[in-house]
Amino acid sequence: MIILQLVVNGVLLGGTYILLAQGLNLIFGVMGIVNLAHGAIITLAGLFTFWFATKTHQSPLLLLPPVFIVMLVVGGVLQRLLLEPLARLGRRGELLNLMVTFGLSYVIIETGLNLFGSQYVSLPDLQTTWAVGGLAINEALVAAGVLGALISGGLHLWLHHTESGKALMATAQNPTGAVTCGIDVRRMRGIAFAIGSALAASAGVLLILVIPLSAPTADTLTILSFVIVALGGLGDYRGAVMAAIILGLVQSAVGYYLSGDAEVVVPYLLLIVFMVVRPQGLGRATR
Amino acid sequence: MNLDARRLGRWIERRLGNPTSAAAPVPAPGRERIAIAVLAVLVLCAAVAPLFATAYVLQLATDVLTFAALAYSWNIISGCTGYLSFGQVSFFGIGAYATSVLVLRAGLPWYVGALLGSGLAGLAAALLGTVMLRLRGIMFALGMLGLARILMVVAGNWDYIGAASGLTLPAELTPIAVYLATWVAVLAAFGLNAFILHSGWGLSVTGVRDDEVAAAAIGVPTARIKVITFVMSALAPAAVGGIVAWNRSFLDPPSAFDPTLDLQVIVFALFGGIGTLWGPALGTVILVFVGEQFWAYLPDLQLALYGVLVIAVVLAFPGGIVGIANRLGWLRRRPVLAPAVFPVVARLPRPALQGGETIIEVRDLIVRFGGLIALNGVSLSIRRGEMVSIIGANGAGKTTLFNAITGFVKPSGGGVFYQGKSVSDIPAFQRARQGIARTFQIPRLMESMTVWENTLLAARYGKRADQAVDQAAWALQTVKLDGLWLEPSTKLTPGQQRRLEMARALALDPTVILLDEVMAGMTRNEQGEIRAVLRQLRGFGIAGVAGVEHVISAIADISDRMIVLDRGSKIAEGPPDAVLRDPLVIESYLGKVS
Repeated sequence: MIILQLVVNGVLLGGTYILLAQGLNLIFGVMGIVNLAHGAIITLAGLFTFWFATKTHQSPLLLLPPVFIVMLVVGGVLQRLLLEPLARLGRRGELLNLMVTFGLSYVIIETGLNLFGSQYVSLPDLQTTWAVGGLAINEALVAAGVLGALISGGLHLWLHHTESGKALMATAQNPTGAVTCGIDVRRMRGIAFAIGSALAASAGVLLILVIPLSAPTADTLTILSFVIVALGGLGDYRGAVMAAIILGLVQSAVGYYLSGDAEVVVPYLLLIVFMVVRPQGLGRATR
Repeated sequence: MNLDARRLGRWIERRLGNPTSAAAPVPAPGRERIAIAVLAVLVLCAAVAPLFATAYVLQLATDVLTFAALAYSWNIISGCTGYLSFGQVSFFGIGAYATSVLVLRAGLPWYVGALLGSGLAGLAAALLGTVMLRLRGIMFALGMLGLARILMVVAGNWDYIGAASGLTLPAELTPIAVYLATWVAVLAAFGLNAFILHSGWGLSVTGVRDDEVAAAAIGVPTARIKVITFVMSALAPAAVGGIVAWNRSFLDPPSAFDPTLDLQVIVFALFGGIGTLWGPALGTVILVFVGEQFWAYLPDLQLALYGVLVIAVVLAFPGGIVGIANRLGWLRRRPVLAPAVFPVVARLPRPALQGGETIIEVRDLIVRFGGLIALNGVSLSIRRGEMVSIIGANGAGKTTLFNAITGFVKPSGGGVFYQGKSVSDIPAFQRARQGIARTFQIPRLMESMTVWENTLLAARYGKRADQAVDQAAWALQTVKLDGLWLEPSTKLTPGQQRRLEMARALALDPTVILLDEVMAGMTRNEQGEIRAVLRQLRGFGIAGVAGVEHVISAIADISDRMIVLDRGSKIAEGPPDAVLRDPLVIESYLGKVS
């Protein structure tokens, strides 16, 4: 029974993790860069949600649409001002991109620290537990997992079944080819970063329901998201879904059988082990 | 305000001169000696002054030195090797813990503890490096970040070293001892930087940063070089970690593996100029002093402002202060081992040899990429001093053949024999050193090096410095690039770039050079210059193997033999005239007439 309980929790956690990774994956796919400020955006959105929900006593889920829209705009502006100038520098640009998003992550984390303090907080909302056939199912986990999976599903539909989404996919697969098809690649990079940031912020809104956050968790979340993306294969969306669920399962199990400390280390260990053993990701292996 | 990103991009590109590419003409030795003497006196004064100042000034000076040592060490792995690390604090922490435990538990004197801690961190770096340095770019950067986190958790759960509550250390060090010990660490880190940036050995490190594949092709043992530089970058942080721990009299996991330390170090190095000798020092001194005044008023915003500074420096002047100084003609790097005038070498390095014995033999070579068969059982042999052209349409397998012979692609079947011995288990860099040289389809030059350094790097292996200088000079004369020897390699025309690649291959002192698409994209004139080099190979006893797709006329008349590949198989071989009349060959190029 415990094992089944862990599996259910793990899969639900994985649902949230999918959303966590989608933003990073989209940005990597289209722009070829890893946004090191990813975890910082998630964390800041989570802390803001906590502040909003405790101040106004409204449901934190109300924040999803406005946060998504605001971060679309913010992400678009950040991309144009900070990253687009480096987009055409090739290999040297890659390192500079990392530096810029690394700097950005500290700006966001420190803003979070100054606004919300450094203590871990988590929302007391949605803490009902349903007993289903001997399993205890947490309402917050279900809400976050299901909403996370729904938003990811929406992204998938948009990418594969609309013209603008396909243009973005085309840019991710072959920028030069996309240009020759009349796609404004520069605009696509802006869109990718805007949506990637909005997805990260949405993930933050949901994540605060499930796990406690504080400003210094930002790095861990960046790594966690990156591990999911890397396990799935960089830029591989289906692989990322698989990796998210696997990571959710592993973390639930390790957290239960070993300790909370060990749970924190899991993403880092997986990162190093998998990058060394299988740098091409899980997805490619099964194909 | 019209902030057009594309224009901004161009503006950055203009300003993004790679700091090390700005090699200066060699200055007069007398003038340089005076400059060094003046600098040494200035540094000495700055070093001695804090000893007689207030405790506050001494502490501030110690802080500057601590960060300078860390910035220089970060510069070794991330600036010189190009492996961006966000986790160098790992070694700071390892050193801090090792020193503390050695002194507390084994009763060693603190300086012995710091030295041993440093050695231990070096050992850890050697072990970790062999694994971590297989990762590239973002993978390595995040892998290092992860490593620091893992170590922090390990330290927090290990009772012997105090676990989460940390270690309390007796306050037995005087501030002056701390100050002087930190100086030693700084000088060591600075010395390692200077060695990398100004020695022939250091060229290999720069080669790894510029292009690892091309570096391996000219004999650089890239894996070993990376691990050695990683070890170098771990030594000073570990020593400094030990010293800082004793100075604070306290050590716990969050202070030993503080991730913000890496941010600060990166800011300092970036601000001064990444990959330069003076950048880390300039950046640290300026920012710590400026910061000291500033943070008193804005204590909570320090890290956020550092973040802003990183972004601003990357976007506005990625070369840092040294990059700006280079533009004004100051602090320019001197080309490594460049004599005052180009050394004209009259001799031939090798007497003309008769063609004859087989030097390369390829037997039933098969190379598969997944389901695609790139080479399907190709056999051929190359004899000393002969000129062979391998022709075939795009996708025929020429590049794969060259990659398999030089060790960049692992064959799925068959074998490659060099001078009678199988080279299957020999890594690419060793094959290059043994005499199998190559050039690339698109020239892969070391972009931050001069023409001279590109050639010298290839000439170094197995030779004394003076022999290497002669060899490089000879190679450059042979391809007629001696007039451009101090130019940055990025300033060359495509034809000159190709000849520089040939000079690099010649500098290896090879027995065979494989030239991939040697005529592609060359003008008539450039083709003539390349032909002139190829004609000389026989006289040096070097076999030339030229892969050619289209410009067959430019290679046919100087070839002894011609081999035709089609979709991974050899379809013809023989004297060029006969091969080009072969109906199979004509069909392969023009298609079958139906």
